[in-house]
Amino acid sequence: MSERITPAMVTATTLNDLNASLGAMERTTNELSSGRTILEPSDNPYGASQIINLQSQLDGLSSYEDNAQDGISWENTASSAMSGIGEITQRVRELLVQGANGTYNQSDLDTMALQVEQLTQSIKQDANTQYAGQYVFSGSATTTAPYEQGENDEYKGNAETVSRAVGPGASVTITTNLSTLLGNGESSEDGKLLDTLRTIAKNMRSGTAEGKEALGSTDLQKLDGNIETLTQLQATAGGATDQLQSALTRNEDLQTSITEALSNTQDTNIAATTVAYANEQAAYEAALRAGATIVQESLLNFLQ
Amino acid sequence: MSIPTLQGLQTALSGLIAEQTALDTAGNNIANADTEGYSRETVLLEPNPPIPIPSISAQTGMGAQLGAGVTVTTITRIRNEYLDAQYRAQNSSLSAATTKSEVLEQAQSAFNEPSSAGIASQLSNFWSAWNKLAEAPASGAAKEAVVAAGEQLVTTFNQVSSQLSTIASQASEQYNSLAGPGGEVEDYAKQIAQLNGQIKLSEEAGQPPNDMLDRRDELLDKLSALANISVSEQPDHTDTVTFGEAAEPLVEGTAVNWPQELGASAGGRLGALADLNSPTGALTSLREGLDSVAATLASTVNEHLETPFFSGETAATLAVAVISAEVQASGSEASGGNEVAQEIAALRGGTAEQSYAALVEKVGSDVRTANDEQNNLQTTVTAINDQRQAVSGVSLDEEMTNLITFQRGYQASARTLTAMSEMLETLIEHTGVVGL
Repeated sequence: MSERITPAMVTATTLNDLNASLGAMERTTNELSSGRTILEPSDNPYGASQIINLQSQLDGLSSYEDNAQDGISWENTASSAMSGIGEITQRVRELLVQGANGTYNQSDLDTMALQVEQLTQSIKQDANTQYAGQYVFSGSATTTAPYEQGENDEYKGNAETVSRAVGPGASVTITTNLSTLLGNGESSEDGKLLDTLRTIAKNMRSGTAEGKEALGSTDLQKLDGNIETLTQLQATAGGATDQLQSALTRNEDLQTSITEALSNTQDTNIAATTVAYANEQAAYEAALRAGATIVQESLLNFLQ
Repeated sequence: MSIPTLQGLQTALSGLIAEQTALDTAGNNIANADTEGYSRETVLLEPNPPIPIPSISAQTGMGAQLGAGVTVTTITRIRNEYLDAQYRAQNSSLSAATTKSEVLEQAQSAFNEPSSAGIASQLSNFWSAWNKLAEAPASGAAKEAVVAAGEQLVTTFNQVSSQLSTIASQASEQYNSLAGPGGEVEDYAKQIAQLNGQIKLSEEAGQPPNDMLDRRDELLDKLSALANISVSEQPDHTDTVTFGEAAEPLVEGTAVNWPQELGASAGGRLGALADLNSPTGALTSLREGLDSVAATLASTVNEHLETPFFSGETAATLAVAVISAEVQASGSEASGGNEVAQEIAALRGGTAEQSYAALVEKVGSDVRTANDEQNNLQTTVTAINDQRQAVSGVSLDEEMTNLITFQRGYQASARTLTAMSEMLETLIEHTGVVGL
């Protein structure tokens, strides 16, 4: 400490101290009112870069969450379409079993054939199901309807797959290749569902003994084989939904922990900061009081 | 030999004059108590040559010397040159740190992080837009959104870049206006040179020009904020000032050598401004860093695409090069293909983002270091200034005490004069008259 103290020194020191106290209070007020401890990178350079990384991770997770939700909706649409196809196929099977037992005359069989043909169109309608403007059964050709209504049973889509990214480096295939079930129709003789249905209708209409014979034997076998394929496809789709669901759960856990880390880095600890604010306020008041008293004192006050 | 009859009057008079000078000086100190750069003054007194009185004692034969009052030798200012040199050295560093911190704070606010409007957040939106496109690869709206997010991102890059270059050019403008013709350096140097001449004349006449010395010291203080200075006082009382490691002294006698090239570590405001914009300076490296983030972003995105999404390789020239119809979600023709969009969405958290986060960390720690340095130096400068004030500052309490002392001294001298007068009255009026 210096030997001589001049009023100018006292004034300067008081002013410095007042400024420092007020500066600290302003800072704390900012933290409290914004709810953030890092208002600019220099407050905590490493923390600022962490905020950028964590925020980006969080946005990424919410993208993945979005993808998984979207995938689940896609799969739900596809599954309900496949259930529809399953019900229709069961109805065809009932007709087939009726037609095969020989108690119906040809006109009954013709009616049944008509029904089978109508049901075939319904199946193609279900196959043309769209999710958010995209055909779910066209492979990656999502803007092309996989089947046309009418006689042409050719598959118009492709065998490519579409996937949804559900995590870094993790993606789930959401396309179901329905052409492995429906096939390309009678002309292709691929034994797939559409071929089978067309054959059943043809055999019903044939009026021949071989035709009626085939209804109960080869046709029924083929149809049962097709139903088996459908079940497999449904199981695959269900598996994809499960994968998406579990990705979603994992994602939520991660989001919770990253949100917590982000909050720890950037959010104001209200309790601690409020206490600090009260302390700073007290210090500021004390500095003001001391300043107001000391700066006024001088020998002049006591001289006559 | 006896004492001159009127000697007592002379002695009392010299006391009156000395006390009056001291009172005037105290009055001047009080008047200048709040004048910047003023050093308190004090009166140096010395006794007059005594009058010898030989052999006054008949018994011992010893003589004596009779004091003959007091003379004012000079009025001097109280100042410690060593503290001045210290103050100026630290003041240069403080001014450099303050400048650095000011400029870097501006650069930091150009980045506008952390916020929802900064590059980081725009970058994140950009990846999210690509992810949306992967969900609906054929959607025109999703492609539109990718282009919009891209546009917003490049605009932010362009803005930050242009703000940084504005800050850089403002720094060099400031340098030029301080160091250029008619700038502060030249102005201070000319005033110091002029004062050198006047001080030399006054000192030659034997009159220390306290006020001019104070003004010269104050100008040197101000000059020290612009760059490092060293001051050497010459035998003729002129100051030779070297400035910012320049080859020739800035002021020598009454001559000014300016403009000159400053050295590599010139210090002060000028040194800091030159440093920030130098090829290795903090501002330059921030601008280069931002350019490199932009280049990385463009190349990492473009390498997944046949038609480049971004054009330009610097933050200032980065632009979106495609319209929404040209945005590719897939390399194949299939409308539902989304692998390219997925690849680009997966660039989130990649090199571009990491190097940007590192850049934000760098600007933050640059500012923090500069602020810390500034705070430390401020404390040092304040402490040295306190010491200077302790030596040179006017203390009103002290001056009041002095006033009383000198006033009492003046009263006593006047009383002495009265006593002398009465003594002489006895001699002149009453001598030779007896018994009346």
